[in-house]
Amino acid sequence: MKRILIVDDDPIIRNLLEQILEPFEEKNVEILTAENGLVALDIIREKQPELIFLDVMMPKMNGFEVCQKIKSEPPEKIPYIVILTAKGQEADREKAKASGADFYITKPFNINDLLNKVSEILQIKLD
Amino acid sequence: MSKLFKKTLLLIIILFMIIAFTIAISTGWNLYNDLLQEYKSKGTAIAKSVASSSIETLLNRDASTIQAMIDRFLEISGVSYIFVVDANGDIISHTFIPTIPDEISKIKNDKPRDTYVKEIVFEGLGTFIDITSPILEGIAGYVHVGMDKNNIMAQMKSAMIRQLILISLIFIFSITIAYILVNKVSQPLNALTDYAKKLTLHDFSSPVDIKSDDEIGLLANTMKSMATDLHEVFDRYEQAINDAIVELQNTLAYLTAVIDNMADGLLVTDTDGVITHVNPALSYMFNMRESDFIGRNCRSIFGDNFAEVVEKSRMNADQIFTTEIELAHKRIGKAVATGIHKETIQSDDKGIGAVILIRDITSEKEVDRMKTDFISTVSHELRTPLTSVRGFTEIIKKRLEEDIFPNVTNDNKRVLKSISRIRDNINIILSESERLTALINDVLDISKLEAGRIDWKLENVRPADAIEQAIIATSALFEQKKLLLIKDIEENLPEIICDKDRIIQVIINLLSNAVKFTDTGSVTCKAKKLDNSILVSVSDTGIGISETEKDHVFEKFRQAGDTLTDKPTGTGLGLSICKQIIEHYGGKIWVESELGKGSTFYFTLPLKNINDVSNINKMEYNYTEKE
Ligand SMILES: Nc1ncnc2c1ncn2[C@@H]1O[C@H](COP(=O)(O)OP(=O)(O)OP(=O)(O)O)[C@@H](O)[C@H]1O
Ligand SMILES: [Mg+2]
Repeated sequence: MKRILIVDDDPIIRNLLEQILEPFEEKNVEILTAENGLVALDIIREKQPELIFLDVMMPKMNGFEVCQKIKSEPPEKIPYIVILTAKGQEADREKAKASGADFYITKPFNINDLLNKVSEILQIKLD
Repeated sequence: MSKLFKKTLLLIIILFMIIAFTIAISTGWNLYNDLLQEYKSKGTAIAKSVASSSIETLLNRDASTIQAMIDRFLEISGVSYIFVVDANGDIISHTFIPTIPDEISKIKNDKPRDTYVKEIVFEGLGTFIDITSPILEGIAGYVHVGMDKNNIMAQMKSAMIRQLILISLIFIFSITIAYILVNKVSQPLNALTDYAKKLTLHDFSSPVDIKSDDEIGLLANTMKSMATDLHEVFDRYEQAINDAIVELQNTLAYLTAVIDNMADGLLVTDTDGVITHVNPALSYMFNMRESDFIGRNCRSIFGDNFAEVVEKSRMNADQIFTTEIELAHKRIGKAVATGIHKETIQSDDKGIGAVILIRDITSEKEVDRMKTDFISTVSHELRTPLTSVRGFTEIIKKRLEEDIFPNVTNDNKRVLKSISRIRDNINIILSESERLTALINDVLDISKLEAGRIDWKLENVRPADAIEQAIIATSALFEQKKLLLIKDIEENLPEIICDKDRIIQVIINLLSNAVKFTDTGSVTCKAKKLDNSILVSVSDTGIGISETEKDHVFEKFRQAGDTLTDKPTGTGLGLSICKQIIEHYGGKIWVESELGKGSTFYFTLPLKNINDVSNINKMEYNYTEKE
């Protein structure tokens, strides 16, 4: 069973992503959510998700820090990390790369683009 | 007495003395000779007369007669002695008192045949001229007459002295007269000399009292009028100089006051980077005393980086260099350095120093930082809800299309109408949220450009590639409006050094505008090389822009047409962003258009733009990169 983890402090965005990714639940993918970096790290250790959507601006621990933490203490299954940011500054793209993220999407995003990206990463075709 | 007169007088006295002595000596000599001659002839005459009258008496041996005779002759002046000897040399009679001197014995036996003159010296008595005359050719004896030579000498001496005294008196007399005369001539000259001396000391008021109408009087008058003229000229110059000094002092005081009251710190260095001037603001900024700066090299106080900037500014006229510098109390300053160059700028001019203005930018930096934070926050705060709106709308649309609408019974007209409305409305929400996203992106771009917060990448860009990518990005728009795109790109265009994404952004903006404002016809994109730049143009066959609007389309939020009646087609930021990007690279952007026929937008990019990007931009670029 494949797992996707959504990390965002904003419950609405979590909700939105959950609903967008709903089609994958039918393909036997579990959608997990975390409202901050610390919870996210716990879930990553326990559930070993394949794909992580990581918001940048979060209290306690920002997305880049979470990303660095994952890369410095890698879990058994190395997840694919997509940084989600509303900042849209070029410097953020560089920071995302530097912290070890695999992909970078700015908010607001196009749903179809997002779905295509996920099926590419998880190797699951939607009909 | 004048110096000249003194000198001449000395010379005259010397000459006079020589002449006086010569005359005295020659007179003395002549007198001596004359007297000598006179004495000799006198003595000879006496001797001869004694001899002639003594023959008989001698033969008679009448000594007393002879004695009486010679005693008589002795009274004649100059005669000192007379004695008579017989043929055997025995003295018969003589006039010696009290005794016959010893020296007589030497001469008493002389036996000349004729009268004979000879000098003889008596010890203790002086020199005498002895004249011997034979009596009867010596048979009867001889007569000796002694003439006193000392007498001659005494007479000579006194004559000489008299002459000297006389000449001296005449000399003194004539000198006195000469002195009086010379003085009379030189007195006005002296007065004139004194006057001239005073003139050289700028004493123009002293009087000169020469009234004679000879050359000296003329000279005096000329000098007087010259003095008045000089006095005037001097007065005028003095006044002018005083005025100038006062003006200079005022200007200096004013400038000093300006410099001292400046809020910015001011630093002046010489050719070696040694500090020559600071103002109080600068001392305050660095919490140091003025004396701590003056005479020290700025490198030792402000470090190498600062010194380099100062040196560069000195070497490059017309260029300004900036750097940041740490101030006291953890504050930050921005230093702007300019070279000091003389008016006559030569190509190899190195500058005579540098002026550095330092401004405390601590609060500006703080504001800057806050602005950046604000931009990110606003961006975040706007985009997050926008993400939800757009995302949920898309989900709703999907769910409606996939799950709801297919299951609604189609026979109810009202329901069908409702479905069609819902579809339209949802599409409107979607396109509006897209517009909002574009707006936020543009606003962000503009504020970043204005805050200098853009990271300008420097890469080699092939113009053809950039245009191609922009065309791909806008191809969907062309398809939608069924417009034709014509490309006319010169081959082998040289590469330009700039940020490729930014150039693509410019071309996309121009292409999307062309499509937006054109309904039928075509859009043409051209690119060619000019002398030192690349020229890109995008022309369309659309609505065109009126002459009055043409000047304003590059302004922010500016759209041609009436925004109240015409439906706005964008945010009016696109061209403003293009302009800022192109100008950053030292290029130009402009538009040519005819209302109703179409518009052409042009922009140029200089080929060596990496060198031309102004220094200030470079510094700021560096500075943003550091963050
Ligand atoms: N090719 C064109 N033909 C006619 N008018 C034009 C053309 N390009 C620009 N304009 C005029 O210039 C105005 C400013 O253009 P600009 O690109 O700055 O804003 P915009 O296109 O309205 O909005 P956006 O910020 O979305 O680009 C436009 O509103 C339009 O009136
Ligand atoms: Mg536009």
